[in-house]
Amino acid sequence: MSLSDSLQKLASYRVNNSRASQDVFKKGEALLKAGKAPRDEEGWAFLEQLALAAIDLDRLEVAEICLQKLADKFPGSPRVDVLTGIRMEATQGITPVLEYYNELLLQDPTNAAAWKRRISVLRRARSVDKATEELIEYLDTFYTDPEGWLELADIYVSNRQYTSALQALSHALVLNPQNPFTFVQFAETAYSASDLPLALKMFLLAIDMIERDLDSPESTPPTGLAFRTWWGIKLSTRHLLEGGPSSPSNTSAPKNLKALDVLATERILSAYKGKELEYQRRLVEGWVVRK
Amino acid sequence: MLARVLLLVATCLIFHAAFSTYEHLSYLKALERPEGPIPKSILIETVVALVLGIVGASLNAPPLKEITWSSEMRKRTIDEMDSRLGFANYVTRGRNIFTSRQAIPKQPSPREDH
Repeated sequence: MSLSDSLQKLASYRVNNSRASQDVFKKGEALLKAGKAPRDEEGWAFLEQLALAAIDLDRLEVAEICLQKLADKFPGSPRVDVLTGIRMEATQGITPVLEYYNELLLQDPTNAAAWKRRISVLRRARSVDKATEELIEYLDTFYTDPEGWLELADIYVSNRQYTSALQALSHALVLNPQNPFTFVQFAETAYSASDLPLALKMFLLAIDMIERDLDSPESTPPTGLAFRTWWGIKLSTRHLLEGGPSSPSNTSAPKNLKALDVLATERILSAYKGKELEYQRRLVEGWVVRK
Repeated sequence: MLARVLLLVATCLIFHAAFSTYEHLSYLKALERPEGPIPKSILIETVVALVLGIVGASLNAPPLKEITWSSEMRKRTIDEMDSRLGFANYVTRGRNIFTSRQAIPKQPSPREDH
């Protein structure tokens, strides 16, 4: 892979917030060793990205090199302090790390990143109730952080407190009304909470957002998130047609459930095309007709 | 392929027309005639080169990319959108596989810290 291709791929990982540590480490270490790391502003973001990937894979010597370069260039920067904290998390126990983050927060109470790291460490240390309290306090202070609301929803879902999770997700929805992923997460959480009409409503909103601009749906089978959403619609309509439980949120089911069911089945089956997917297609068709 | 050929032909025609104009003007200068209008053939050659060049450049363009928000969202994955990097845990079991250390010092079990 050429130099510019590697750099482009790494930049796309940064933009998309992907966490592809193995790939980043392989490409980044090669660039660093060959001395071809970028020198401009992008170079510092590259070093941070490589340091995080190295810590993720426990290749701490590379992380040390990156951290040293960043600390030399930006002494006293809160971002570098947080990176140092993450490096500490890899080798030291929970208590010294928490003390370090408390130190940072005492010095600068507006350091949101340090607060988030502390919450993450508390969650890892299994004190989930303490982590949740801190996270709620954090979200009271920094409301416009969709990441925080998603993390809160994740904590609640892992404890099967679906109503609280839905409340957290609705805050995330207010902050990101154009993001279909949040809608699908809301819908799937409602489905897990046995609130089928709400789940169906949210799935339909999401699919409208995702497939709004398709001019010929017959020729473009759903992929990725669209496929997952169509499956959600199929499952919800199927259970609603069988007579599901009443909705805890008093949402009414849409009127044309049968038509939706047929549409969802058609969209799903259109994705299993070709010889390789023949077997899966027969499995899905069999499941569809079974009662 | 055809597009490149058309572009090449259009470029050659343009250069040829330019050179012909230069030759024509130096011919007039040698005969000390006043600079008259450019001969029709050179004009036609230039216009043909323009048309061929436009067609070639249009055919040679890279395929169009989608610009709508929905098309962008269709390409993203849940792992990207739900990565929550601010809260990410960097102390996972992956370190046992990928490490370069000889032995990972056993971290105190989380429950002991309560």
